[in-house]
Amino acid sequence: MLLFVARRVLVWIPSLLLILFVVYALAFYGAGDPIKLIFLKAPGDVAYNEARIEAVREAAGLDRPFIAQFASYVGNLLQGDWGNSLITGQPVWRTIAAAAPVSGQLGLATIILTTLIAIPLGVIAALNQNGKLDYITLGAALAVGAIPPYVVGPILMVSLILLLPPGSIPYGWGGIFDVRVILPLLVLCMAPVSIIVRQTRAAVIEVMNDDFIRTARAKGLPERIVVLRHMMRPVLTPVVTQLGIIMISLVNGAIFVELVFGLPGLGRLAVQSTVDNDYPVILAVTLIGAALVMLSNLVVDLAYPLLDPRAHAARSDR
Amino acid sequence: MTAVVEEDVSLVRDAWRRLRANRLAVVGLCYIVLLVVVAVAGPWISPYDFLSQDVTMRSAPPSLVHWMGTDQLGRDVLSRVIYGARTALIVAVVVTGISLAIGIVLGAIAGYVGGRLDAFIMWLTDVTMSVPSLLLVIVINTSLKPPLQRWLDELFLATKNPIFRDTMWLDFVLVFGAMTLILWPPYARLVRGQILSIRNRNYVTAARALGLPARTIVRRYIVLNAIGPVIVAVSAGLGAAMVLESAFSFLGIGVTLPTPSWGNMISDGLRVWRNAPHLLAAPAIVLGLATIAFSFLGDGLNDALNPRQKHR
Repeated sequence: MLLFVARRVLVWIPSLLLILFVVYALAFYGAGDPIKLIFLKAPGDVAYNEARIEAVREAAGLDRPFIAQFASYVGNLLQGDWGNSLITGQPVWRTIAAAAPVSGQLGLATIILTTLIAIPLGVIAALNQNGKLDYITLGAALAVGAIPPYVVGPILMVSLILLLPPGSIPYGWGGIFDVRVILPLLVLCMAPVSIIVRQTRAAVIEVMNDDFIRTARAKGLPERIVVLRHMMRPVLTPVVTQLGIIMISLVNGAIFVELVFGLPGLGRLAVQSTVDNDYPVILAVTLIGAALVMLSNLVVDLAYPLLDPRAHAARSDR
Repeated sequence: MTAVVEEDVSLVRDAWRRLRANRLAVVGLCYIVLLVVVAVAGPWISPYDFLSQDVTMRSAPPSLVHWMGTDQLGRDVLSRVIYGARTALIVAVVVTGISLAIGIVLGAIAGYVGGRLDAFIMWLTDVTMSVPSLLLVIVINTSLKPPLQRWLDELFLATKNPIFRDTMWLDFVLVFGAMTLILWPPYARLVRGQILSIRNRNYVTAARALGLPARTIVRRYIVLNAIGPVIVAVSAGLGAAMVLESAFSFLGIGVTLPTPSWGNMISDGLRVWRNAPHLLAAPAIVLGLATIAFSFLGDGLNDALNPRQKHR
């Protein structure tokens, strides 16, 4: 087991490096000249002072060849130095540290809320298979999953503005227990809820007619125990496997939701930094996003044999 | 499994019969067919030109003259939705086609050759799938568009060829490229998995023992049996590609105005949501229904083509 964990973590590093390399290369060759951008924004007529521009470029180490710059970037990264933002001059880790808790809390709350809503709904739908309740739940899940977050968010917000007295507009961030968090949280939950409801329903239906469930019923266990104890365990396995996909939909959703609701999180930072061509920040955000998704895939891999011991044997084939 | 050719025919007919029995899938299929017809026949059936402005009718609500109303510039919304369907379908079909082709080639190589190459290709899919797709596209678009634009401008100055003047297709190329980059890995994994699971089935071994050439084995036994899940994945993938395209146009990357795309119509409509709700509602509803239709059809195809996993 420990060897397995170690091996997965070791595979992690070159993957992150590859992502870093591609994004770095894109930013390096594609983005406009960052130094020139800074000078263009500065007051006065400094933008055409070539000597000064070159001096600043040299000081920032941006005149060296691509590979050298990339290597020193990775080296600094290992020492915890993410570089400085080209726009504000602040260390990137400080910008990240300010934004990450917002997205982190939102993401965590979304996962908890999703689990609380989606798994019971999926089980209820499956137990009423092809009944009215099943169709309503499934239809709602499909509809909720089909509407893009960038449509729902603004509509919800505008309708709230119409309903609420002015001055209490749900815009901005005041901590995870603030009232204003409700709307973004709901919008963020939509895509994962849609996935998990359907996944849970399918899993329960598959398990429902298995022999061990019939045995449990036959020995007279109350339905509640049959569902909670016997069904839930095999059902959780395919649901947990979705964690990586859910993480991606969370990161993607965060970009829209944070833009629409004015939350100072990583999603908004990502968009802002690409607009500004602030590539130390772009790199950091992309790296964090990718690391999160890979981490959740790692968790899935590790949790899988715990949930379904049969997978332990199957895994060694891969 | 006696006569292979007959088996092929009955597989398709069988699947079609099962699909028709599934009401939701039929509804989804009808909506998709409608979209395709509308998109193909767009220039002939759209009541107005999607660019022509009627200054006397700005942001007009739906009426008999303009079935879906007009937008802030007095353009007919129905015509724009129809041309938006063209954009959505072109992007979805091209992107899914290219990703599927890449996925089949790489997946087949991984599945057949195995070993190091397999591990490397699977690693690539792993890495690509773990980058949040929107972030990757934002990065690609913002970093590649300006230099490509400059390059095209230089080409135009050098050659005076009007092709390089019109940059509308540059958007499409960038969107195609970026989306393909995101969407190929699932196909590659699926194809590889199918090949691995079918390669060692008894009937393939039997065919090999009979001395059939590899080409025949692949065509008759492996492709025919592997195609079901791939069709299902393509149906789901088309829907996903549509949503992705609209998401990009919504963010202002990808297909930009004045080319109508449901995504940029939605982002346009959001600004005037309170005064002219139909501008948001029309593209949003059409897009929402399209994604639901594709997922209904996908579920139906799954049940129809993979009868063995009945309960899924």
